[in-house]
Amino acid sequence: MTEVLTAKPPATGGSTPADDRPAARSRRGWITALFLLPALVLLGALVVYPIGWTVVRSLFGAQGFTHFVGLSNYGSVFSDHQTLTAIKNNAIWVVVAPTIATGLGLIFAVMTERIRFATAFKLVIFMPMAISMLAAGIIFRLVYDQDPTKGVANAVAVGIHDTFSSASHYPGAHPRPINHQLTGPAAGPFTTPPLAVSSRPVNLPLVGATPDDLKGASQAAGPRSCPGGHLCGTVWMDFKPGGGTPNAIDPGEKGLSGLRVNLLSGTKVIAHATTSKDGTYTLPAPATSGPVRVQLAASNFTAPYAGVNWLGPTLVTWSIIGSYIWMWTGFAMVLIAAGLAGIPRELMEAARVDGANEWQVFRRITVPALAPVLGVVLVTLMINVLKVFDLVYIIAPGASQQSANVLALQLYLSSFGGGNNQGIGSALGLLLLVLVLPAMYVNIRRFRKENAR
Amino acid sequence: MKRTHTAAATLAAAALVMAATGCSSGGSASTSTGGGNAGGSDAAASLHLPNLKGQKIQVAAVWTGAEQKNFLKVTARFDQLTGASTTFVPTGDNVSTFLGSKIQGGGQPDVAFLPQPGVLQQFAKAGWLKPVDSTVKDQLAKNYTPGWRTLGAYKGTQYGVYYKAANKSLVWYNTAAWQQAGLSKAPASWADLLKDGQTLSDSGTTPFSIGGGDGWTLTDWFENIYLSQAGATKYDQLTKHQIKWTDTSVAKALTTLAQLFGKPTLMAGGARGALQTDFPTSVDQTFAKSPKAAMVFEGDFAATNIAQETTAKVGTDAKAFPFPAVGSGQAPVVSGGDVAVALKNTKGAQALLRYLASVDGAETGIKQGGFLSPNKAAPLSTYTNSVERTIAQNLISAGDGFRFDMSDQSPAAFGGTKGQGEWKDLQDFLAKPSDVAGAQRKLEADAAKAYANAG
Amino acid sequence: MTTLQSAPATAALSPAPPARRSPGLLKRLAGRSTGGLVRLGLLIIALFWMVPTLGLLVSSLRKPLDIQASGWWSIFTAPASLTLHNYTSLLANPAISRSVANSIMITVPATLLVVIIGALAAYIFAWVEFPGRDVVFLIVVGLLVVPIQVALIPVTDLFAKVGIFGSIASVVLFHVAFGLPFAIFLLRNFFAQIPQELLEAARLDGAGELRLFTRVVLPLGGPAIASLAIFQFLWVWNDMLVALIFANSSAAPLTVALTEQTRQFGTNIDVLSSGAFLSMIIPLVVFFAFQRQFVSGLTAGALK
Repeated sequence: MTEVLTAKPPATGGSTPADDRPAARSRRGWITALFLLPALVLLGALVVYPIGWTVVRSLFGAQGFTHFVGLSNYGSVFSDHQTLTAIKNNAIWVVVAPTIATGLGLIFAVMTERIRFATAFKLVIFMPMAISMLAAGIIFRLVYDQDPTKGVANAVAVGIHDTFSSASHYPGAHPRPINHQLTGPAAGPFTTPPLAVSSRPVNLPLVGATPDDLKGASQAAGPRSCPGGHLCGTVWMDFKPGGGTPNAIDPGEKGLSGLRVNLLSGTKVIAHATTSKDGTYTLPAPATSGPVRVQLAASNFTAPYAGVNWLGPTLVTWSIIGSYIWMWTGFAMVLIAAGLAGIPRELMEAARVDGANEWQVFRRITVPALAPVLGVVLVTLMINVLKVFDLVYIIAPGASQQSANVLALQLYLSSFGGGNNQGIGSALGLLLLVLVLPAMYVNIRRFRKENAR
Repeated sequence: MKRTHTAAATLAAAALVMAATGCSSGGSASTSTGGGNAGGSDAAASLHLPNLKGQKIQVAAVWTGAEQKNFLKVTARFDQLTGASTTFVPTGDNVSTFLGSKIQGGGQPDVAFLPQPGVLQQFAKAGWLKPVDSTVKDQLAKNYTPGWRTLGAYKGTQYGVYYKAANKSLVWYNTAAWQQAGLSKAPASWADLLKDGQTLSDSGTTPFSIGGGDGWTLTDWFENIYLSQAGATKYDQLTKHQIKWTDTSVAKALTTLAQLFGKPTLMAGGARGALQTDFPTSVDQTFAKSPKAAMVFEGDFAATNIAQETTAKVGTDAKAFPFPAVGSGQAPVVSGGDVAVALKNTKGAQALLRYLASVDGAETGIKQGGFLSPNKAAPLSTYTNSVERTIAQNLISAGDGFRFDMSDQSPAAFGGTKGQGEWKDLQDFLAKPSDVAGAQRKLEADAAKAYANAG
Repeated sequence: MTTLQSAPATAALSPAPPARRSPGLLKRLAGRSTGGLVRLGLLIIALFWMVPTLGLLVSSLRKPLDIQASGWWSIFTAPASLTLHNYTSLLANPAISRSVANSIMITVPATLLVVIIGALAAYIFAWVEFPGRDVVFLIVVGLLVVPIQVALIPVTDLFAKVGIFGSIASVVLFHVAFGLPFAIFLLRNFFAQIPQELLEAARLDGAGELRLFTRVVLPLGGPAIASLAIFQFLWVWNDMLVALIFANSSAAPLTVALTEQTRQFGTNIDVLSSGAFLSMIIPLVVFFAFQRQFVSGLTAGALK
């Protein structure tokens, strides 16, 4: 915008006709018209006329100009839940994306101020501005892939998660659906009914351990010896190709090692043990004489953390905003840096001499001095964000496209996709135009003010 | 977009497996061999194709890769017969959007292949399609069953020629995972399928891979269950929206579907994972080196993904069985296909349609492999191998016993648009399978709106 | 506006001139030692910013089966074979190679026309008085914010009537029309700074408007025209929506050809990643070669 650009305010009344003879004047009139014509014709035919056409078209139905429907297209636009989602999302976009991009831009601009070799940094941040939204969309589809072995965002999320809570040994392992020894919710813990301590081993059959988890496992075995009063048993994968005999340790069935086995009295854990290579465990003799229960702790079975559902219905809009910020922070940063370079150093020095600390200088001098630039950046980004289409179109998967919907996308879908209703499309187009009108007003006003100077 | 994406391997494998599971209806066709080429030329001569020397014809379809190459052979043969020069235009992912914007600008191709009858109806209603002429109708009457003919018509006017077909009632499975679980026999019923699923789960392999990220795979699940459970009559009624989606038959089918969707342990990644899985991934992860699931349901075209995107061999590592019967019904046969329509009223467009409906046109397509023709007059001997022949015979002998994909016949806004209508509603149902009534309400609301707009 | 007058926009990417070397805010905040910390922070942020692009680049160099099997970062732990196979097969695809040519045939005329038509109009708005000039110019400035989506449907209709729908020309015309407000705005402001005496002297020598325009205004407007050209070039090259609607397949640019590859039937991330990277090469070359003009154009025309 002009305040950033101009070395001096443009002089409006620049023309000083040197030759006022009528013939020359009329020749100049011709040339003026000739120079302006191509631009005005193109603007008139492809920008101004379409606006008028859209206003009229929005009053007609899907069939065309033969079906006058009055304002009913607007009625259906504002009662359609898809459009309402789009409006809501556009509101989120307009508030969040420009603010964060500008904020980050400000931070980066201040950080790089006066640091040598900052040019390389700025180039890196700024580079995404040069590429298409399509390429950015493909880039972020890759980043947000749900599969932690493909999407880098989830690879990091899973990596961090697994650093703080270790992965379980046998995710997904469970007792057979009809099992008298073990019951519990789908993800464990699995608990036996109350049992009296006896010399009989308490064997706990499980199924559903994956072949990968069983790699290197050895044949399950019944407990060899059980010291008097102790509680012993085997936890094993009660399944071999073909099924095997349920609840019996068949040859070929593997012991599940490293499982945590709890001994419960009531709901209290009074002892615990870990299964050995062949799946056997030994719990110390319970101090109580009452009934006890054996439990396989839930921690053995927790499903691996699948990462964040970036493109699920809840997060999809925010994730796409993230990709937008990646693209446009560089823009904010460069403009703000240009503004920063223009702040008179003497002002700051004077404040410092007066005893102001750096924070005060920043708050009282830098930010106010930057205010016009910040305003320009914010308004520009807001206009830009209202029109966002490609990123949403490319990144949002089918199941969450509706949750990620924005007006520009809805316009495209209703005019050219599925519905092919240009009446609705025109109404949406007009809505979009109305939403950018304040920005148009701000621009014109700013321009007049500058010219008046 | 549901596409008939058949590769040669597909039909081969499907036929192999179906033969193995006792589904084939005999191989008598293999006895009549030879004569395809000569017969083709005779047929071409009797077509009386016009001389189109110097005329340019544009054909648009969604095909890429091998499919496109094969179809170019068909247009080359047409060019050879007529002297026209036919060019192919890929439409990309969304055919109706692509064509819709082109038609509004007057830049449409002469002929387009639509993957859904619903789009055909929408376009026909908008007046964008040109009816076929009498010579095309003659070919259709000779070579097509009424079932396939009416799929290409709107309000009694014939617009389209079904050139390519697909079988959408197959379940593909990872043979290694089945062996590991000790399974050997294809399930004969839905209950068996779930039981086998549980066995697979017990063996440590998640049974089902569901490509719920693409809504159309879910509509195919529903359609197979509904066709088998509620029967063909109800299926046709629901297709035309003559009964509502709040009907008890729909509730029953959704409840049946929830027996699977409601058990996260039976689906790779649970419901959430399934919703993030697009169709190709759902196939790939079933046949990956360490498979994430043992079975994946979809049409014969899944073989293309297996062949191109995994190291598994179709026919040995990957096999398929027919979708089992649900309840007391018959096993469903849901089909899909691509219909050719004329978008311009040119001599070339009509001639091409006539050729595509002809025996010679079908034969030329069949000879390229990976192609299933609904043309009943095309000699089965044209199929280059016995397995493709077996599948083709299955299709032809089914007569009008098959049902065309329901969502493909619905208005595009309901059954054919990413993130909308039935696709979206069934995705929501997959996320929350306990709410059968809620899903029905949403389906009915969306259907009512879309059918009302489509007229 | 006065506060920023002394800031040459082109300096935005370069370190500040040594003449005004007063300690920066953060450095002052906690002394010299934090300078290292800030640098470290910048390094981390820069790496973070590069990861997404790096992912695309590496993916585009991996075999399709490898992409299916593991994440792109696994090449750091297990250096697997990288290959240009995706690129060669992409360029062997006639639809893609034709679309690259189309991209050029759309972008170059769209850029030249905007520069020429915009400069002509901007010159008049800056230096020739005529009745209603300011109002017309304000309307043009107002048109800067009109979303292109508003015009898609009516222009489709219009192009169809004229009979150019689907052609390269239709895409070019649309881009030129929507590039003009920015072009006129930017160039008019720049031309208005040309010293009046220069023009008057030329006029007194009897130079006509055309001569003035070509001999005085255009040469002096060089920097602004360069900024504009780069901007328009990138905008048109990167556009998808306009071409998606107006171009038929024989006129489709690279972006549209790529969206046609994002079919639901096949995880063709091998095609997409290489295609996306291919589409980025020219903008990146333009960007790195002309970053100064890019930045000054950006700062000048932030309205867009």
